[in-house]
Amino acid sequence: MSLILWTMQLVIVPALSPLSIGIVRKIKAKFQNRIGASIFQPYRDLWKILHKDEVISEDASWIFKFAPYLIFSVTVILGASIPIFTAVFSENLLSDLLVMIYLIAFGTFFLALAGMDVGSAFGGFGSSREMTVAALTEGGLMFSLLALAFSGHSTNLFVIAGTVSSLPLLSLSPIFLAFGAFIIALLAETARFPFDNPATHLELTMIHEAMILEYSGKRLALIEWAAANKFLIFLALGANLFFPWGISLSTNLIDILFALAVFLIKILILCLFVAVLESSIAKFRFFRLPDLLFTSFILSMIAISLII
Amino acid sequence: MKQDGIMERYIADKFETKKEGNVIVYNIPSGNIIEICRELYFGKKLQLKTITATDERNRNGDFKIYYVFGVPEENIFLAPYITLKNHDEFPSITKDIHEASGYERKIKSFFGLNPVGHPHPRQILLHENWPDKILPLRKDFSWQERPMEARGEYKFQQVEGEGIYEIPVGPVHAGIIEPGHFRFSVAGEEIMLLEPKLGYTHKGIEKLFEVLPIESKIKLSERISGDTSFTHSLAFCQAIENLSDISISERVKYIRAIFSELERLANHFNDIGFIMLDTGYNFGGASGTRLREIIMQWNERLTGSRFLRGVNTIGGVTRNITNEAKTELLKVLKKLRQDFNEVIEIAESSSSLHNRLAGTGKLDRQIAVDHGAIGVAGRAVGIAHDARVEYPYAAYDKIKFDIALENEGDVQARWSVRIKEVYSSMAILEQAFLNIPADGKLKSDKMPNLRNDSCAIGITEGWRGDIVYFVATDSEGCVNRVDVRDPSFINWPLVGHVGKGNVVPDFPLINKSFNLSYSGNDL
Repeated sequence: MSLILWTMQLVIVPALSPLSIGIVRKIKAKFQNRIGASIFQPYRDLWKILHKDEVISEDASWIFKFAPYLIFSVTVILGASIPIFTAVFSENLLSDLLVMIYLIAFGTFFLALAGMDVGSAFGGFGSSREMTVAALTEGGLMFSLLALAFSGHSTNLFVIAGTVSSLPLLSLSPIFLAFGAFIIALLAETARFPFDNPATHLELTMIHEAMILEYSGKRLALIEWAAANKFLIFLALGANLFFPWGISLSTNLIDILFALAVFLIKILILCLFVAVLESSIAKFRFFRLPDLLFTSFILSMIAISLII
Repeated sequence: MKQDGIMERYIADKFETKKEGNVIVYNIPSGNIIEICRELYFGKKLQLKTITATDERNRNGDFKIYYVFGVPEENIFLAPYITLKNHDEFPSITKDIHEASGYERKIKSFFGLNPVGHPHPRQILLHENWPDKILPLRKDFSWQERPMEARGEYKFQQVEGEGIYEIPVGPVHAGIIEPGHFRFSVAGEEIMLLEPKLGYTHKGIEKLFEVLPIESKIKLSERISGDTSFTHSLAFCQAIENLSDISISERVKYIRAIFSELERLANHFNDIGFIMLDTGYNFGGASGTRLREIIMQWNERLTGSRFLRGVNTIGGVTRNITNEAKTELLKVLKKLRQDFNEVIEIAESSSSLHNRLAGTGKLDRQIAVDHGAIGVAGRAVGIAHDARVEYPYAAYDKIKFDIALENEGDVQARWSVRIKEVYSSMAILEQAFLNIPADGKLKSDKMPNLRNDSCAIGITEGWRGDIVYFVATDSEGCVNRVDVRDPSFINWPLVGHVGKGNVVPDFPLINKSFNLSYSGNDL
């Protein structure tokens, strides 16, 4: 049984992440009075790009060639170590909050390096913008999760999920504040509005897309897939750390199926939130982003001070 | 007589004037040109519409350079010209009238005539791979031969200083747009200097105008800037009509105004949408393209062409508007106005959209005045030029509307000018449909004979700004020279100035708010 669970935990993020992207796109299309592509289109896209030839610049070093594999593996490992539908892997060393945040930063670091590696102007400023945003996001992300760690008295994600789910309703207000902070960090980390426009074709406005402009073929597919994984991981963290009700604590099949269903519903709600946000506001001007990220940091500081 | 008044007011007695159609031409000694242009431009406040040269060496053994000024209320153009016999230099007026710069550089690049005293007379439009000595608009240029490839060098302006780096963008872009190269010198994200380099779509339009048969000339004018097919060909047809005594029925005049406004509507919907899309405001972006598509489908239904091609012809139009189409279109317009109202209401209540548009890409009024800014960009800083009002053509003399104006000169202002023009276009269409005479001859049966040794101006207000055609004939009444002045040619240098001081990620939005034609500029 645990082998099956282990496999499920490992594949669930990479398997469902393109779907989450597809769902967001579909909802956005509806808001624009369009029919939109099928929610399974991202799978077809990945399949297509995986079979395309690759063009790699002569100036590319090992970093450019190696980064997609590394970034993809990091997201798979992360996906396997966060609470999704079962809490049976709580002993996992990787399920530590700090380890997780810095694994994410590790992936971002290599992506930024890869962006600069071939020396194109777009990659360069994509990386420079990404690092600016990432450095400012780290505070908000870290402290919003630390607020949870303080209430759970542990940095283990599973312990946190367990504790938060048993808190009385009245003591949840700081958790909601921290969730606000986390959402801002989520949008920044996953290159969503108002930070970045995942649908843009304007090379001068891009952040994430600018870094990966030079990629093609299977490496591009891996990076796109990794970006989708990261998106789902963040949604899962938001759903299961801040609203952990429904996570299965046993290995009972019915429990697990129920937990899985609850998880999917929570993800769907968050997808809807992101899509509504992206449909209703314009992207912020680059220099207004730090304000937003500081807001995230301050919200989490307030949350922590309320908890301690 | 009215015209005598013009001559007294604007032209000194000593010059012998000749009035031909809507142009008064008079020869002046090249030594006086600066003083005369200054007087017309600053003293009489006339608008410079184009400066262009003709190669008449095989007839008179000289080059002529025409300086075309428009007299708004009278709907007439003054064209003092100088002759260059046995030499290839003419005095530059750029130091006095800055907007002459582009015209003089163009004359230098294409005729090899030197503007003496021009501060920066480098080649324009022709690529550095084009050999210097080959001058495409001289009559002895053999246009069917491919010239040897030269290896010239293009030097960008450079900014030096710590932390300043250059971003080369284009000519191939990530989106499906026309080719143009932009060189940014930036410090961090802030633009220190922006230099657009154009000319990638140069296709020898003006030379082709000299060699193609007249029917193909109309087709050619429709293809100068595809999104402005109708107003471009209308300006060309009007220039030819001015060269002959052909009469145009009232009905045709109304039909021409109607199609002009449909073209403007489609493009303004598109631009309004794309400005919103470029800020990431997806709802607005999708609405813009949706509204444009409604007009494009109507265009196709009325004329068989989404871009209204093949409609204009010399002396008339080839397509009629039936009565049922008219009543139906009036209903559609009503719905369209409501629809557009809703979209704009939603968009204007979005503070995040407003924040992106306001203050971005601010055009300084003085820079705009010095460059002779026209069209949407000019009206967004309060420069009230509109050829429909100043030089009424087609049925515009019988239609009432206000010139859409804003003062701020930022992206928001250019966006608002377009919104106002959408409303005025709808109102113009309604007026036109109400007043259009029930019958009238659609077109004349034969090609008119053109006056010999003469010239004429065709001017129309395209959706980007006024389009000016200068057409000159030879001693047999054949078209000898066609000079095309797309509004983009005037407004492109502004984009370079506007970029400065903004952040790089805002540039696509600024560029879109101008939305100039590359093809129309490069010719």
